[in-house]
Amino acid sequence: MLTRREFLQTTAAASGLLLSGADAPPQRLAIIATVYKYLSHAQHIGDRFLVGYPYAGAWHKPAIKVVSLYVDQKPEGDLSGERAQEFGFQVYSTIAEALCCGGKDLAVDAVLIVAEHGDYPRNEKGQILYPRYEFFQQSTEVFTRSGRAVPVYNDKHLSYSFTKAQTMVETSRRLRFPMLGGSSLPVTFRLPELELPLGCEIQEALMVGEGESDAMDFHALEGLQCMVERRKLGESGVRAVQMIEGDAVWKAGEDGRWSRDLLISALSRSDTPLGTGETESRPEDLVTSGQLPKLVANPAAYFIDYRDGLRATLLMLNGALKDFNFAARLKGTPEIQATQFLLTPEPNVTYSACLVHGIEQMFQTRVAPYPIDRTLLVSGILESCLTSKVQNHQRLETPHLKVAYQPPTQSTFCRS
Amino acid sequence: MSTPRPKLAAVVTTYFKYSHAQHIVDRFLYGYGWRGTHHRPPMDLVSLYVDQVGEGDLSRSRGEQFPSMRICPTIAEALTLGGSKLAVDGVVVVGEHGKYPRNEKGQTEYPRWEFFQQIIKVFKDSQRSVPMFNDKHLSWNWDWAKQMVDTSREMGFAYMAGSSLAVTWRIPSVEMPLGSRVREALCVGYGGVDSYDFHGLETIQCMVERRRGAETGVKWLQAYRGEKFWDALREGRWSRRLMEAALCRSHTLVPTRQSFSDVLPTDDDMRQLVKDPIAYHYEHKDGLLCTMILMNGMVRDFNFAADVEHHRSSSVVYAPLVKDFNFAADIDGRSEPFSTQMYLPMPDGRTTLASFFSPLVNNMEKMFLTGKPTYPVERTLLTTGLVAAGMESLYRQQTRFETPHLAVSYQPTRESTFERS
Repeated sequence: MLTRREFLQTTAAASGLLLSGADAPPQRLAIIATVYKYLSHAQHIGDRFLVGYPYAGAWHKPAIKVVSLYVDQKPEGDLSGERAQEFGFQVYSTIAEALCCGGKDLAVDAVLIVAEHGDYPRNEKGQILYPRYEFFQQSTEVFTRSGRAVPVYNDKHLSYSFTKAQTMVETSRRLRFPMLGGSSLPVTFRLPELELPLGCEIQEALMVGEGESDAMDFHALEGLQCMVERRKLGESGVRAVQMIEGDAVWKAGEDGRWSRDLLISALSRSDTPLGTGETESRPEDLVTSGQLPKLVANPAAYFIDYRDGLRATLLMLNGALKDFNFAARLKGTPEIQATQFLLTPEPNVTYSACLVHGIEQMFQTRVAPYPIDRTLLVSGILESCLTSKVQNHQRLETPHLKVAYQPPTQSTFCRS
Repeated sequence: MSTPRPKLAAVVTTYFKYSHAQHIVDRFLYGYGWRGTHHRPPMDLVSLYVDQVGEGDLSRSRGEQFPSMRICPTIAEALTLGGSKLAVDGVVVVGEHGKYPRNEKGQTEYPRWEFFQQIIKVFKDSQRSVPMFNDKHLSWNWDWAKQMVDTSREMGFAYMAGSSLAVTWRIPSVEMPLGSRVREALCVGYGGVDSYDFHGLETIQCMVERRRGAETGVKWLQAYRGEKFWDALREGRWSRRLMEAALCRSHTLVPTRQSFSDVLPTDDDMRQLVKDPIAYHYEHKDGLLCTMILMNGMVRDFNFAADVEHHRSSSVVYAPLVKDFNFAADIDGRSEPFSTQMYLPMPDGRTTLASFFSPLVNNMEKMFLTGKPTYPVERTLLTTGLVAAGMESLYRQQTRFETPHLAVSYQPTRESTFERS
């Protein structure tokens, strides 16, 4: 009798047979990373293709073989050589070589780009200039030269620059390869397992989170976007954004710019409130008690005005909580809909297994489980919000963010 | 017309930060996040008895902050509010934490039975009884636990008890279908005997009680510890497949390989990580085999897995292949393990709130409002007996302990009362 794992390996192989008509050898994967060291995104994600990962109550080993690796930087703790030796692949000194496995033409079936962590400069907006666009361009040059294109996953936002991000997506369309990007937040476990009904009418939405800008705000914005994209008529893009900081955030709340009720609701889903939560481990409604301004020295609000009139807000409240929670008011539903995007603890960070599951699915089927346009739009929202930040927190019209797309019929978050 | 708010008394061993009493009583006093709102229980906690007021005590400052809550020197006063008769509509007993003697079997003799006796004396003297909740197992002593349940029946008051594990979030959010044919079940958790073993047992019991034929009790229990645990694992006393499924639901697997963050441990890895493994392996009267496993050092969560006839996962790895897989599983006649994690947001650095107490308190509230328990106390009576049997088997050099006294029969609730919305 087959075990579940053996069965899955068999079915995965069968899917290869179905798709390629070949004798179902494992797919060949190139990993392109900024750094590969313990607890870096590349290690979390890349390792899952090497040693497998827990999914749906079994240890799943992808029918995928990592055949090459490129790392842009080898800081202290670099694991690239060690992994290559143990798992029998090569570390190449250029991206082109990694994709061609040392030969002249593309020699892999999929490319995993993880350009997060490493020592890269920041620009005046505070964005870390990770070379995602450059990595992508070098990869697609090989595709073009070889007359063959393969699926690409790009971790996190596509680029700090919307223009570059847009070029990346256009290139994937032109060369006709599937592309997936983004954060783990849209795919991680939710408490409760809230899925907004497809086609719902959202009156207002809010996300509350914490962490440093240009890293955690991206996660939070994508968590927000994967919820609101399910609204009536789907996504049509963003008309304007504004980012404000400091006391102006509380003032905006008093003025009704963001909903106090939605914040109470979102915070009611948090398991990590600080203040009396931290000192006494007791629950408290931090909004009604007036504690928030005392806990949060420098709040930030990211306002997003969508083209269809929806207004959504991300509040980054460092000092108030340690997790990410969403709330929305739907037309015709009296109760506020709220959930926590569960970020499971280090070192396992099992939420990245949810992400790798989606990546693997795209590599195997050549169909992205959710649209790259989501990540494109969020890349642009974040860039424009950070532009607003350095331009006196002004509201900025964003005609370039006319990114329209339809969400998947079913959300693809982990719930099985 | 407004319904009067029930008045509650809390009877606790001790009240310090992170104690069960703090988690539970604070939720009645301050409210808690619940289903997208900050919920304030529609009842008043009007009196508090604390058996041990020591260093770190919070009960006195809580008393100052809530003058409507009377701090009482005796249990009787907490129930009568200084009058001559029972003056509350419900009692919350939290006999966990505090300095109490340990007996030669390693059981901490928390005075839950003693508290119960004092409470029912007031009930009897007042010729009136009210609903009571008892945190965790009923007593370290089986005979006493049995007597507590019998007394609640005789006196006709609603009685509920147990662990948060039965009511907390599940990841994924799954319910064991009522009437399932369960062939084997286990839980892999962490913690020590006479404490977290109870949580592991309630994890299993709240699931398997839903099987075809419902609960009829347990015939025997055999504990394995240390080397004997590893022997039992090697000999296949319990299902490896289920154990692996449970481990694959964990979010806290300690990686055994340096520089790797998430790997499935081999047997050698487990031996390296877990210095004092423990299993309670037991057979129900209808033949169901269950195993409660504690692997301190390897996981920090509670994960359940069962072999359930015709169980099929709702989602398999590749969406386009789901049908094929299910089809093959049917032909094969083999089921996938049914598995989930009973999620404990734990304030040990992972969270600040022990939010799993919220569904526990919410179930209590329902009982205090309706006068009906939301799940049967027999569940906890049985798991109380299983903890004592586990300690007994360990005390008797890990020999099999026959449990004819654990012929506890009951029906589960139609719907599980775990938190999912």
